[in-house]
Amino acid sequence: VSGIRLSLEEMRSGRRGMLLGLQNSWPAYSAARRRLDEQIAAVESLTGDNPLQQANVRELRGEAHVLDATFRGTMPSLDRRFLLEEQVRADAGKRLTAIAERMLGEERRLLDEREAAQRASLQTFYLVLSGAGLLLLFVGSASIFVIMRYTRDLSGARDELEGLNTNLEGAVKVRTKDLQRANEEIQRFAYIVSHDLRSPLVNVMGFTSELEAAIKPLARLIEDADARDSTIVSDEARLAVHEDVPEALGFIRASTQKMDRLINAILRLSREGRRNITPSVVEITQLANTIADGIRHLIVDRGATVEVQADMPTVKTDRLALEQILSNLIENALKYLKPDRPGEIHVTARRELGRVLIAIADNGRGIDPRDHERIFDLFRRSGAQDQPGEGIGLAHVRTLAYRLGGTISVASELGAGAIFTIDLPQDYVGETEREA
Amino acid sequence: MTSERAVNIVMIEDDLGHARLIEKNIRRAGISNTVHHFLDGTSALRFLYEDAKGPVHNGPSLILLDLNLPDMSGTDILMRIKAEDSPLKRAPVVVLTTTDDKIEIQRCYDLGCNVYITKPVNYESFADAIKQLGLFLSVIQVPDPDATA
Repeated sequence: VSGIRLSLEEMRSGRRGMLLGLQNSWPAYSAARRRLDEQIAAVESLTGDNPLQQANVRELRGEAHVLDATFRGTMPSLDRRFLLEEQVRADAGKRLTAIAERMLGEERRLLDEREAAQRASLQTFYLVLSGAGLLLLFVGSASIFVIMRYTRDLSGARDELEGLNTNLEGAVKVRTKDLQRANEEIQRFAYIVSHDLRSPLVNVMGFTSELEAAIKPLARLIEDADARDSTIVSDEARLAVHEDVPEALGFIRASTQKMDRLINAILRLSREGRRNITPSVVEITQLANTIADGIRHLIVDRGATVEVQADMPTVKTDRLALEQILSNLIENALKYLKPDRPGEIHVTARRELGRVLIAIADNGRGIDPRDHERIFDLFRRSGAQDQPGEGIGLAHVRTLAYRLGGTISVASELGAGAIFTIDLPQDYVGETEREA
Repeated sequence: MTSERAVNIVMIEDDLGHARLIEKNIRRAGISNTVHHFLDGTSALRFLYEDAKGPVHNGPSLILLDLNLPDMSGTDILMRIKAEDSPLKRAPVVVLTTTDDKIEIQRCYDLGCNVYITKPVNYESFADAIKQLGLFLSVIQVPDPDATA
């Protein structure tokens, strides 16, 4: 709008210059006129949002045309119509100026309004901005807090993990110690119990023998008395001395002897558990052949064959313990053959993932699957009780296998033979080494 | 026994049955010396060191010792008897017990026991062992405790 005013002024001065006879002021007037049009158009487009101003602009344009026409008209006939036109010109100019003033005022008011609105919106903007800032700060600090908490938790967990890791070795050691202690306690318990049981047994057996010794003179006395007069001794007394007492003594003796064997078995197992393991490289083939040679007479007696695989692997373990395991299993295989077919026993071994699996397979009478666990228990046996034994052998074998860090398992069907498999570590790791 | 003064046999054995069987079998071997039997360590030690009829005050003696006693271990008694300053350190001690643990046997000999015998459970063996012990006792010399004083 200020531009319009300026153009008007320029136009006015241009006309004045022409009026004053300055011919060269005509281009200046045209330029001012053109500028006025441009500026009016600019104002029109700027005030597009304001109907009131649009109306003003239209008025302005109209007046500008009038003014222009007037000016143009005045210029060529300056001399004639100067005085006449002067009044019209001044009026139009004044009107134009007034309109411009009005527009200017309107624009100023609008500007003020806009400024106020802008200030208000600016305030809102700042408010929102500070709100957003606060929110951002809150969210930021919240996330920092969360992150810190997570980090703390994480580092706590890591520390815990580290602690656990370092403690794991210790925990394993403690557990191993505990287990060893428990094992030692059991061994000690077995040892003490068997010893303390032996003590009264000595008495029972001792006094049974004393009774047996004492009954002999009594029996002789009764015989002497009978020889003299058969009426002296009552039938009851004769029966007691000749039958009842010897029978009772016989049962006592048999039972105490059995008890003695059982106690000795426990004692042997507990000793086996306490015996020091001395690992050495054992040629399984050689060991198995030695065992088979040792019981050759038994094998021949039973009409059986023992076949030992020729090139079995070696194993680093306790030779004596392995020998006892193998001889027990081979003897068992010989013991429980099926009478109607010649016994065949195969000893084989193979290496598997750092372990050595030794299998003793027979074609004997087999073991009921229900008894596969039981047979390894102390004093437990399976099948027909037609062979001597206390049910100690396999319990002993299992104890030895465990002692060597191995296991033993059986696969068998009734009447279809049995395969006992010993699973031993390739290299025996001693208890002391395991502790370290 | 060949000592001029009668040798007393002190038997420290907590099992009455064992004591009886031991005495019976010693007698069967022809030993007729007095046998003083004690069921626990405390009373046995009191007899050994303080009693007027005990070995310290009354002649030579031979001690039969069981290791499993109710109030103390037989090895404790053995230690007391065989201690450097003990008046009984030369008295023969026969350990007669059910234990056949190698470590225990070694320990007893280390402590100065003279003979260690494991009681066989089988009575025939037991009787034989005791009879042989009796025969052994009948030939060994027992030092007089006075000589040490």
